[in-house]
Amino acid sequence: MDVSNILASNTAKYQSITVEKETPLEVDPGLLLVSDLNPIDEESYASNLEEHLQSLARDGVQALLGSLFSLPTQRSDEGPLAQLPPPTTAIPRAKPLPKPKPLTKWEQFAKAKGIQHRTRDKRVWDEERQDWVNRWGRDGKNKQVEEQWITEVPANADVDFDPRKAARDERKARVTKNEKQRLANVSRGQGATNPRKAEIEKTLASSRISTASMGKFDKKLEGEKKMRGVKRKFEPTEKSLEAEKATSLALLSRMDSDAKKVRREGPKEEKVLNERKAVRFASKGRGGVALGRETARGKGKRTKGKR
Amino acid sequence: MRPLTDDESRAVFEKLANYIGKNLIHLIDRPDGAYCFRLQKDRVYYVSEESMRLAISVARPNLVSLGTCFGKFSKSGKFKLHITALDHISQYAKYKIWIKPNGEMPFLYGNHVLKAHLGRITEDTPEHQGVVVYSMNDMPLGFGVTARATVDTRKLDPTSIIVFHQADVGEYLRDEETLF
Repeated sequence: MDVSNILASNTAKYQSITVEKETPLEVDPGLLLVSDLNPIDEESYASNLEEHLQSLARDGVQALLGSLFSLPTQRSDEGPLAQLPPPTTAIPRAKPLPKPKPLTKWEQFAKAKGIQHRTRDKRVWDEERQDWVNRWGRDGKNKQVEEQWITEVPANADVDFDPRKAARDERKARVTKNEKQRLANVSRGQGATNPRKAEIEKTLASSRISTASMGKFDKKLEGEKKMRGVKRKFEPTEKSLEAEKATSLALLSRMDSDAKKVRREGPKEEKVLNERKAVRFASKGRGGVALGRETARGKGKRTKGKR
Repeated sequence: MRPLTDDESRAVFEKLANYIGKNLIHLIDRPDGAYCFRLQKDRVYYVSEESMRLAISVARPNLVSLGTCFGKFSKSGKFKLHITALDHISQYAKYKIWIKPNGEMPFLYGNHVLKAHLGRITEDTPEHQGVVVYSMNDMPLGFGVTARATVDTRKLDPTSIIVFHQADVGEYLRDEETLF
């Protein structure tokens, strides 16, 4: 029996599992990624786009699957699992680059002055002991004065002057000062503003608009910054009208309830005497000031008459 | 062009409610399509959604007008109704006043309505209430604010004002260049 015919028909039905291209496909099984760097065949692209794309996709998937089946496998309940190698293609990072650490005050100063950073050795040479000792910490050089067994006392010192305590206090003060500066650097790095400065700026801003012209015709000082107002924010124009309708109906009902509240409270104190009207009537429409002047003059006349 | 802020809508609604009261809901919630208020260069326009969406693509300096101009905001934030809003206001007006033919011309020239020209008036109109002014053949001429309640008008002499003029259709000619 000749099976070559059947084999030939079979091979015709199924395409080969090896993909051959001018430039071989780049396969990155770690990311399940295939990139085809071949130029597009213009003829087949123009004649039948769909078929062209399908054949491209088929070649790519074929190459990917071929590479997957060549990977080492691992047994599992669901069948063999291929172990993917680490990806080789570099993918752009998802997150933005981390921001540089905020400079401390000293670092800012050093940068402005061009002072190079120098690492200090942790240990220093002790002439007396002829040995390297710690700059600080256990048996540190900075504790030498307070730990030596005999200390010189200056001639003009007080009776209760304790040179060891004085040296220790000085060292502790340096530590607390450094801690304070560190905390200040941290808060500055977090963008904390000086509350006093903010207060001054607020006062300045309010004083600048506190003239009759709201500061429009004030003399400008040199280097004076333009005042920043509050930035208004509006709803987008192309919002859905349903939402807009809902908000305006809500506003209407709120206005309605406000009006009802006023009505329930009633007009403020219905008095028998309407002062405004009474004054208008008594002064014959000339106002309360005129009425007051007139009555004062009238009194004067009357006293004259009595005399 | 932008939607009104909360304060602006409040100012507009309060002014409109002077004339049409609770019928204001019918302007916002219309059965025949979505309408909205839009602000463009201090002017408030009442626009259908369709034309509003078309106008979105027009740059602000190029957009002259859209929909119906309802009025404008003054620099101090007060809202002033324009006569162009009369169509919608007269449709839903709560309080109306009709004036005699001999009073039409004085009113259309921007004068207040005198008692002598009063034809008819809605019963129980309170004082300082927004009213729409009609001619005797039911044509809306403008709107104004009552000077007296209906009850008080009886005792007045014929030359006294009963409706303060706010807007009249004569403005279509007088304020043609700034109206829309």
